[in-house]
Amino acid sequence: MERLKTKRYWPQPISPEPYFTPLKGSIGEELCGRNLQARFCEGALNNQERRLCEMSTRQKLVGFFCLIFFFLTIIVSAPAFAQPAAKPLGVEVIKIGGMGIMSGPFLICGRVIMQGAQLAIEEINAAGGILGSKLELKFMDDELKPAVGVKNTRYLVTDWGAHFIIGVDSSGVAMAIGEIMPELDRIYISTHASTHRLTEELVYEKGIKHIFRTTTPTYQEGILPAIIFSDRTKFPGLTRWAGINCDYEYGYVSWSLFQHTLKKLRPEVEFVASTYAPFWTMDFTPHISAVMAKKPDGIFTTPWAGEGVQLARQALIMGVFDDPTLKVYWHPTGVTTDFLEAVTTEVKADKFKGKLWISGRYVHNWLDIPENKSFVKRFVERWGLYPFHPGQGAYDAIYFIKAALEKTRSLETAKVIKALEGMEMMTPGGLKYIRPEDHQAVYTAPAGRPVIDPAYPIAVMGHFHVIPAKDYFRHPPFEPIKIIK
Amino acid sequence: METLAFQGLVGLSLAMYLWLLAAGLTIVFGVLGILNFAHGSLFMLGAYFAFTFYGLWGINFWLAILLSLLTVGIVGYLMERLFLRHIYHLDHAFQLLLTFSFILIFDDVAKMVWGGVAKIPAMPSFFEGTFSVFGRLFPIYNIFIIGSGLLVALVLWLLFEKTWWGKIVRASASDREMASAIGVNIPTLFTGVFVLGAMLAALGGALGTPVRVVAPGIGAAMIIQAFIITVIGGLGNLKGAFVGAVIVGVLSAYGILLFPVFELFLIFVIMAIVLMVKPQGLFGG
Repeated sequence: MERLKTKRYWPQPISPEPYFTPLKGSIGEELCGRNLQARFCEGALNNQERRLCEMSTRQKLVGFFCLIFFFLTIIVSAPAFAQPAAKPLGVEVIKIGGMGIMSGPFLICGRVIMQGAQLAIEEINAAGGILGSKLELKFMDDELKPAVGVKNTRYLVTDWGAHFIIGVDSSGVAMAIGEIMPELDRIYISTHASTHRLTEELVYEKGIKHIFRTTTPTYQEGILPAIIFSDRTKFPGLTRWAGINCDYEYGYVSWSLFQHTLKKLRPEVEFVASTYAPFWTMDFTPHISAVMAKKPDGIFTTPWAGEGVQLARQALIMGVFDDPTLKVYWHPTGVTTDFLEAVTTEVKADKFKGKLWISGRYVHNWLDIPENKSFVKRFVERWGLYPFHPGQGAYDAIYFIKAALEKTRSLETAKVIKALEGMEMMTPGGLKYIRPEDHQAVYTAPAGRPVIDPAYPIAVMGHFHVIPAKDYFRHPPFEPIKIIK
Repeated sequence: METLAFQGLVGLSLAMYLWLLAAGLTIVFGVLGILNFAHGSLFMLGAYFAFTFYGLWGINFWLAILLSLLTVGIVGYLMERLFLRHIYHLDHAFQLLLTFSFILIFDDVAKMVWGGVAKIPAMPSFFEGTFSVFGRLFPIYNIFIIGSGLLVALVLWLLFEKTWWGKIVRASASDREMASAIGVNIPTLFTGVFVLGAMLAALGGALGTPVRVVAPGIGAAMIIQAFIITVIGGLGNLKGAFVGAVIVGVLSAYGILLFPVFELFLIFVIMAIVLMVKPQGLFGG
């Protein structure tokens, strides 16, 4: 038959006429109608052709539009499948995991870490990112609890994919997460948590190279005042010291460092009273009264942020600053913006009688350098408050990461560690040098007393007492200090 | 000796804050049968409103305290009418869930409205200064707090023992159904009692503003101590709450002076001893 000789791709429907024409209304018509399609497609060369021929027009139309839709989908989604131009670091986005306290009287400290980091990230992204890769920050509340800090760190690295971890206010939390960084193979940069044991013990002694710190450690709390107040000419009769300290790592090590250093420099001093207040202490009056019972010449305090405010206010109403015996009240983190704002009225009225001494790891109105002036201006414009150390430290941490990544052109942790060691950078807080032995940033931060400066709406630090970092920082090899509780 | 006496006085002023908080908690539990976990949040709101009225808007200190009491009273009214009323008959677990959820809501609302950073207003000038007591300087402000606590204790005693309303409240507390049967409007009464409890919590918060920061979550810091005091004194017992607050406040102060290492869990040791010796509380029945 002629159909068998020719190769066809589309079966030709065979006209029913050569066979027979069913009579209208007859059963033959019905029967033939059912088989017509099949009869038409008898010339199909294979099952596929037969099936295609046997499809009704409606089926064919639906099939046609499905095909069109399928190809349209491919075309539209093609860009998503397009291979991006390869970034030198191998990722589109560098993820920074941040942590800090985001609740309670300490909230300002965690929030400012986020603000400092976010400001740096926005600046870097606006300038094209790091080697073309953009930065992204995810910030979590560690509730000042080590267990929560560890859980968050694991989540940030394992689930969210953080390439770096920064922040943390509590020394206790920092010590806990520092231990797990080698397992997670990520770098952690402390921007506030200040226990010297983080760098001296975990980095130097135990060799956990993944930990760095961009802000001053508890040398600022304990050693700096010991040097200042050991001066017998400036502070005659300042020999009896009492401590009201935080009841955790930070309080213990600061007080221990202070006692250890001062005793060496001025052997005649005595430490006459010591109390510890846990987090969330609202009323320090029993602590103040217990300490004042021993008639100290100086009071060493560590409660910080909102708790520092409460302690100072309650000390004021208890007449601590009016007591002629008391000469110095030391609050080493008194540059936090909430503290300075809270004491502004009292400083104006000279209620502290010049006895309130403060310090901080970064003082926004101290360094008259362009990096600092411009940073303060941008920070105030962006966030509406004056920056202080956890925020400035976080800002630096991001820029240190940028510098290291630009040097290594790789996200490999071991390479970035090597790049950060020994790195020196000019920052708003001055020239910071990351010491290779313990990964601690070495730079100077002053002590002083709060003053009113018409250029600022709230009190600021004044009467700067500057001691170069090399004189109040401890240097390796580190002689262990007994932590006195 | 003088040191001990002075420290006891300091402990007494600490106790008065706790008393104000525990009083409201124990009244609400005794009459309504609800353990209000959000009581601490009402304390926090009282502090925030007092800070806003006095610290931010510059209203007279006493008027600011009164306004904060009224505002938190309204909050308490809405809490009771719209939410708590529907769960009185339910299991305690539902009360726990609902009141706990209020803690979370109030904390976040506080963060949204006031910004979350710890704040403190300027010290009112009439509180500045000290009295010489036992050879040491005792702040006028602390004397005021002790006085306020004692005044509130007197007013509550008069209210519940000598007034007609107090009698009805005590009757409803002892037998709700019978009180309802003799014509007491229980729902309205309960709302009134809850509002009273809320206002007491707010008073505690408001009075503390000159010396304590306002921040989200400060209520949670106090509520544990308030619960311990109500347990020590006997749930629902006002006299017990007062005595319990004095015990806890004074012993905490002595603990800080004499046993600084153990001070932290002293309050729990006291509670454990009371529960072992008299599980229903010192004045509980």
